[in-house]
Amino acid sequence: MAVLGILRAEALKQRRRLGGSKLVFFSMLLWPVLELAGAFYTVRPVMTAAAAERWPAAADEHQLFAFLATGALGFTFFFAQVQSAWHFSFERQTGTLELLFLSPANRLVLVIANGAGALVQNTWVFTCFTAAMLTAFDVVRVAHPAMFVVVFLALLFPAVAWGALLNSLLIFSRDSAFLFILFSEPMSFASGVRLPVFALPVWVGTIASLLPLTGSLVVVRGALLDGDGLGELAPHLLGLGALSAVLVVLAAVVLRVGEHRARRTGRLRLF
Amino acid sequence: MDGIVTRSLRKSFPVRDRLFGRSREHVAVDGLTLTVPPGSVTGLLGLNGAGKTTTIKVLATLLRPTSGTVTVDGLDVVTQARDVRQRINLIAGGERMVYARMTGRENLRYFGLLYGVPTKVLPGRVDELLDLVGLTDAGDTVVERYSRGMTQRLSIARGLVNDPAYLLLDEPTLGLDAPVARDLRRVVASLAARGKGVLLTSHYLTEVEELCANVHVIAGGRHLAEGTPAELTAATGGNRKVRVTVARHSASLAAAVAGFADRLGVTATCDPDDDGGAVVSLSHPDDVAGPLVTAIVAAGGAVTGLELSEPSLEDAIIALAGQAPEPVVV
Amino acid sequence: MAVAAATFQRSWKVTARAYPWTYFTSTVVTGGLTVALAYLAFHAIGGGRVEAGFAAKAGSADYVGYVAVGAIAFTFTVRLVLWVAKALIGEEREGTLTALVVTPSRRWPYLIGCAGFSALSTLVESTAVGAVALWLGVRFPAVEAVPMILAAVVFAVAVFALSVLVGGVMLFAGEAHITQNTLFASLALLGGFSFPRDYLPGAVRWLGELVPVTQALDGVRAVLAGRTAFTDLVGPLATSLAISAVCLVLGAVLLPRAERRAIERAF
Repeated sequence: MAVLGILRAEALKQRRRLGGSKLVFFSMLLWPVLELAGAFYTVRPVMTAAAAERWPAAADEHQLFAFLATGALGFTFFFAQVQSAWHFSFERQTGTLELLFLSPANRLVLVIANGAGALVQNTWVFTCFTAAMLTAFDVVRVAHPAMFVVVFLALLFPAVAWGALLNSLLIFSRDSAFLFILFSEPMSFASGVRLPVFALPVWVGTIASLLPLTGSLVVVRGALLDGDGLGELAPHLLGLGALSAVLVVLAAVVLRVGEHRARRTGRLRLF
Repeated sequence: MDGIVTRSLRKSFPVRDRLFGRSREHVAVDGLTLTVPPGSVTGLLGLNGAGKTTTIKVLATLLRPTSGTVTVDGLDVVTQARDVRQRINLIAGGERMVYARMTGRENLRYFGLLYGVPTKVLPGRVDELLDLVGLTDAGDTVVERYSRGMTQRLSIARGLVNDPAYLLLDEPTLGLDAPVARDLRRVVASLAARGKGVLLTSHYLTEVEELCANVHVIAGGRHLAEGTPAELTAATGGNRKVRVTVARHSASLAAAVAGFADRLGVTATCDPDDDGGAVVSLSHPDDVAGPLVTAIVAAGGAVTGLELSEPSLEDAIIALAGQAPEPVVV
Repeated sequence: MAVAAATFQRSWKVTARAYPWTYFTSTVVTGGLTVALAYLAFHAIGGGRVEAGFAAKAGSADYVGYVAVGAIAFTFTVRLVLWVAKALIGEEREGTLTALVVTPSRRWPYLIGCAGFSALSTLVESTAVGAVALWLGVRFPAVEAVPMILAAVVFAVAVFALSVLVGGVMLFAGEAHITQNTLFASLALLGGFSFPRDYLPGAVRWLGELVPVTQALDGVRAVLAGRTAFTDLVGPLATSLAISAVCLVLGAVLLPRAERRAIERAF
């Protein structure tokens, strides 16, 4: 099973890179928690009775917090992918990336493994934190216990597909910092991490619909906070699945074009 | 007192295995006493991990001695560090020590200002130094675009920007092309001739033999020996090696060689080679090639080749380091 | 002063040669989006109204304006801290710390040279965030020049003092990433940048008071709200300067130790 072997190798590499390091505690728990608290207090002053007529979550502090916390959780999943891609791009500078391409490993599996390898290690702490807070505030309404699995998969699969595309792009892109910027704050803004999508201008919402995080958040919040069942969420889940498939196909194309070009020019660079 | 003088210099570093593990002490330099006089090049030799770089960094005020004293022209490196820094400079071959995003000229100008070189003198000195290291044409190119050798040459110019009285050179020719390294040796020799004191560590022992009036050998942080390169070689009993090839191997040849070696009180080898010939090798402090060849011919051997090698400083260092104690961990 | 000027010139040349546009963009985008988020929350959800207690806590009912001023100040703080605090550890990473320490120059002029340049560069970025706020309809009130300059200078001094201390910590620890992001995340929550500190629970609020920047920002906000009487300003500004002095002293004690440690780290 070559695929499993590569997955295992990448997961080991990521664990060695991050494992036991304080960085995971800080970047995947402390900073998101502080940011979540900051976001809560920042929007808190406009959550008046009048606001609650437009947006029910505004009526109750716990509901508002739950909305922001689920947003932050989704963002953590996707941002972990951005970070792993960022580190992958460093391998270009240190020369180990060429070594990866020297190996016969399937490139697509490699980029998927790179993202997935770190995902669970990166997100479990914040997932636990969010679960504990939602339980404490008693805001979870699920149609069926199996919906927790649906929520997890709706985060995991799109995030991994997203990670595969990012990893492919960043391997070949010279200015990886720019993609890093684009997919941190702006992605959080557009995908409805801190505000419901209806509050955003129409053009932002249109762009946001192309980001898998937007769809993931709709499913997560629908299933956890509004008690939606599979029936209500089916269109969103189908859309999310289709989008994920498109991302993986795009990743494969980028890899093929990129490697072809790298062979010809001798430089690992697409953009 | 003139020169750089260290007395019983000791420098140790705390080493911790785990986060909460017991802290041990790694002794890098242990009781070192040496002098770097002005007007000559002093060598500091030892194998990797002998404590050379630590010693140089203590002399450069970068590290504080754990105990012992170091003075530069009578100024203490701990209490009068700023005055010492004015008089010395350091060139380390392994480290870059210049800014990648600035041009060569800008780098030299910046460091000149940090050393308080008067702004009237500075442009002239920068030009001179660029010329000295052969970077005049590349002076206005950013260091990012320099080759490794060019960056290294610029580091050397930076090390001279304050016109130091003492120059500490830690592997200065590491990674340099042979002609550039030769030019640097010329610069170092001329600096010493102009009255500067230079301390040099180098892996290239021919470099040390060529430049140094006096050499200190250290191992495991301890001082082992001192002397001119020739004295050190002689003191460690450096042997000349003789290697004679003979057309045909025979029992009588082997017996004659063994008898010859016996009379000198050494052992020799006489091995057959693949073509039925023989290779005779012998080591001895004196030049015994003539008598050995005579003995071989007398035994009926036809000599087809002769190789002689003189004793080298390299052999001396390896011999000295072999006797040295292991690094101390308390 | 020659060292400060040389360091200023060096930073200028290096930055002019390869201006870090990605960092500029990142800074302005982050600041701009903070204001945009507040704008949308206020108009699209809040219907143009804030809760009754806000004006009392913030000293003004202008919610978006409050967040905008905070975003500009936060941009200034983050960028200046990054420039000054990371200057020395940056030298260590570039391999030039040894060359710098071996010179007889003093460290304060060096840091002041760094700060002088970065204050200019940071002003440009803060102004860009301000431009985004203007575009979103935020109107900054006309203020008295002298108190405003006074408050702004105290604010800059506070950020510099914080940077020196944090720079010492970074060099000592040989680590910048965790230190800087933890500082920024904490400041964003505790410093009263995007919401009045009175919203925070009591114990947490006091943590924010320990940072010189917090008090200086109070002074800036007081001037913007038109409270420019001596009694309105002397409290926060004097407190800020006192805490800044403590930070500078701690930094002065820590920096030489951190430098020695950084040099020894090579072994």
